[in-house]
Formats: sequence, structure tokens, C-alpha cells
Amino acid sequence: MILVFLGGFAIMVLEIVGARFLARDFGSSFYIWVSQIGVVLAALALGYYAGGTLADRHEHNDALTWLLLGTGVFTGAIPEFAPRLINVIITRHPTNLAIPILWQKLDPALGSALIFLFPCGVLAMLAPYMIRLTAQRVGHVGRISGLVYAFSTLGSLAGVVVSGYLLIDLMKLSNIFRGTGALILLLGALCWFVEGRGSTGQSEEVAK
Amino acid sequence: MAGLAGWLGVNCTPAAIVFETTSPYHHIQVVDQAGRRTLSFDSAMETTMSLTNSLQGHFQYTEFFQMPWLWNFRMTNVLMIGLGGGSTQRAYEHYYPGVVVETVEIDPAVAQVAKKYFQMRESATQRIHLEDGRVHLRRSEKQYDAIILDAYVANRYGSFIPYHLATKEFFLLAREHLATNGVIAYNVIGTLGDWRADILGAMFKTMKAVFPQVYFFAASDSLNVVLIGTKSTEHLTAAVLEQRALALIQQRRVTLPAFLQRVRAVRTEPPPSFELSPILTDDYAPVDGLLSGINGANAR
Repeated sequence: MILVFLGGFAIMVLEIVGARFLARDFGSSFYIWVSQIGVVLAALALGYYAGGTLADRHEHNDALTWLLLGTGVFTGAIPEFAPRLINVIITRHPTNLAIPILWQKLDPALGSALIFLFPCGVLAMLAPYMIRLTAQRVGHVGRISGLVYAFSTLGSLAGVVVSGYLLIDLMKLSNIFRGTGALILLLGALCWFVEGRGSTGQSEEVAK
Repeated sequence: MAGLAGWLGVNCTPAAIVFETTSPYHHIQVVDQAGRRTLSFDSAMETTMSLTNSLQGHFQYTEFFQMPWLWNFRMTNVLMIGLGGGSTQRAYEHYYPGVVVETVEIDPAVAQVAKKYFQMRESATQRIHLEDGRVHLRRSEKQYDAIILDAYVANRYGSFIPYHLATKEFFLLAREHLATNGVIAYNVIGTLGDWRADILGAMFKTMKAVFPQVYFFAASDSLNVVLIGTKSTEHLTAAVLEQRALALIQQRRVTLPAFLQRVRAVRTEPPPSFELSPILTDDYAPVDGLLSGINGANAR
């Protein structure tokens, strides 16, 4: 449950701090928020689907651990690569000619998707993955999935409050991204640990 | 209606809502009351204008946006970020018809309201770009004699400054787009004393990190302070500025009736406490925290 809580937390930190990060290049437009919320929801949908499929396909594998480790590095590196990426999006429009309204709306979504779709999608995979892992052992799938949803959403709530009210006032944006990257690396390690335990439990059962 | 008039708290003349709309950015209201037309965003007054004379009834601080003349007697083009009800645009159109003013406004609804209800006219010398101010500057290859910022929004919950228009990186970008004697004029809500001095201090420190000289012009009828940053390294005293103002008036380059009086509002030195304020950067700009007082200048 700690895993899905932290996963939900990291997703919302990325959403809130990400909106701030995008504003310096795309302006403080209303469409920053539209695109940031849209991209995170798309990431959740994709992540839930992919996470569920992955969890069923292999009884135990370390795919998610590796994905999380990759995502941790990716997130920590956002301050290094993202400005260049966004620059490409902006400078593709001819200068001294207004950016068409359509692109004023869609450019932030494009930037947001390139930066945040991948990490938020991988983090969303945690929930179905953990349902599968836990349900193997307990069997009360309804209660388990309810708990996973609840903890993941509580984590998201904490992410919103902590990043919006505290982190932005207290820390540099780049350090928040690095910190979140470190948190995701920790999640990867936890995932590896939980999986390891899950599979030994399983083999013991089989042995019996 | 009576209740609304009471809530507006001006006086008991009935207030008439002339226009009201909600855009992606603001709840916009145009209200006529006691011979004055008021533009409000989210219940906060942005612009006032006399209904009988569109050059009267404006907030005093908007006249500080004519101070760039003190550093450049031959201004020809100005960029303004934030349109509102266009007080400054109307003033430039009337007093300085030879100056080209380009205005960047993010909200198309605001531009429509300014044109329909506040006598804002688009012309060869008055242009409006519907875009974010920083995005516009970044993509523009032009240079301006003055860049004016009035993108500050305030309501009953406090003031909100768009953080990306308040950082050192933004001011560096602005400086790149200023001509040799270029000046930036920036409206901030705060005082030089205690009330919201934290955000004003941070804005001062941030501008000072980019512009060699920064001056203060505090309004006497509201809590607005206009900061003027100059590319010129020369520190001018109040006396020198007054001399320049007199010369400008004598040469009839500046015709605003209250110009000299406004110049006299100048303060050339910051309060000592401002030294403690942080410099805002793209990476760290707690403008919301500074504004709400969580993170006062002294805490750092």
C-alpha cells in the first residue's frame, strides 16, 4: 500500500510542479492546466491498462522494477533535457508571426505529453500490478482493489497539497524533479523487494 | 442592485452592469456608476475611466507608465504587456500620437471589452497581439524604447503575479529587447513599508540583478508601486529627474498635465530591508508564498 501511495504522490507532484515548469516557456495560459490535467489522465488510462496486462501476462517478473528505475532516471533528468525539447516546439513557429490559436492551445499539451506521459504512465502501472500481487495471496479482490485505489488516490491528494502548498515555496523546481526522480528509484527498489517476497511466498506455496 | 452598490462600497448611486462574461482567465465585469466606468476581473478593479472624458478617471499609477520619457527624449515604440481597460494605450494615443504602442494581451475577451467599452482603438500606432507576454517577447526580434508591464491581478484573496513574468530570466529577455536607452516599467502591488513589502523587495532585487538602476514610483491613491529599471548605468537623483521633466514639458514632448507631479513621486533608493529579499528565478520563484506571507523576505 505504501507503494501505491507513493506512486500516486509522485504522479501529482509531477502534475502540479510540471504545470509550473511548462509556464515559463508556454506562458501562464489556462491551456497549460488543461493540457497538464489531460496528459496525466491519459497517462493514468494507459498505465492502468498496460500495468494490468503486464501483471497478468507474467506471474512474476521484474519488468516494472526496471521500468520504475528508468522512470526515476528520466524524471531526475527533466531539468536537463526538457528545456531543449520545449525550445524545439516553440521555435518551429516562424518568428514575428503570431502563433495560430490552435497551436497556442495544443503546444503545451505536446510539451506536457513528451515530458510527463511516460513517467506518469509507468507510475500508474503500480496500482493494477499491486492488486494482482496482493490478490494472489489474499483472494479478496474487491477489498484489495478498493484499498489500492484508496491509497493511490490518498497519495495523489498528498502530492497535490505538499507540492502546491510547500514544495513550490521551499524548493527549486529542478530539485523537486530530482527529488521525485529519487523517490521513483526508491519505488523501483521497493517493487523489486515486494516482488521477490511475493514470488518466494508463491514457491513455498507450490512446494507445499 | 442596491445590494451590489453597497457591496462596491463607492457610494449609493445605482451601479449598472454594462457587460459581464467569463473567459478562460477571468470573470470580467464592466460596471457604470457615478459617472465612472469600471473594469473588474474576478471582483478586483483593473481600470476606471470617466464616462464623460476617457482621459480622466484612471488610476494614478498608470501615469507612471509615461516615465520612460525621462530616459529617452525620442521614444518611438513601446511594448506593453497586459491590456486591461487600456488606460495607458489611450493616454499614449492622445498625448504621444507618434509613438507606436504594441500591446500583448493573453485574454481575447479582455481585448474585445477594451475595444467595445473602453474606447481602445486598433490602428497603425495601437496594435494588439493576443498572446502570452513572455512567449511574445521570446519570439519577437524587435527592440523597444520601453517595455511596460501591467499583468498583475489582485482580488479579495490577494494579488497574483504571473511568476514567469517576474523572474531574472524574464528580465534578461526583456533587456535583450530594449534599445540603448531602454527602460522597463513594472507595476507591482505593495508598499515600500511593511504591507507586502516582501514581494516588492523580491521584485526590486530581481530587477536590480539585470538592470543597473531601479527607481520607485509609488501611487498616492492606491497601493501600486511602479518600478522603473534602466539600461543606463547612471544613477540619477530626484533633482536631475525633475530637470529632465521640466525640459520635456518645455519642449512639449510630454503633455500629460500631471507629469511633473508624478515625477516628484520618485524614490531613488530602496528601503534597507529590501537587501534581504531573494532574487526570483525560473527555478525558484515562490511568488504565491511571498504574496501570502508564508515566506517573508526576512525568513530567508
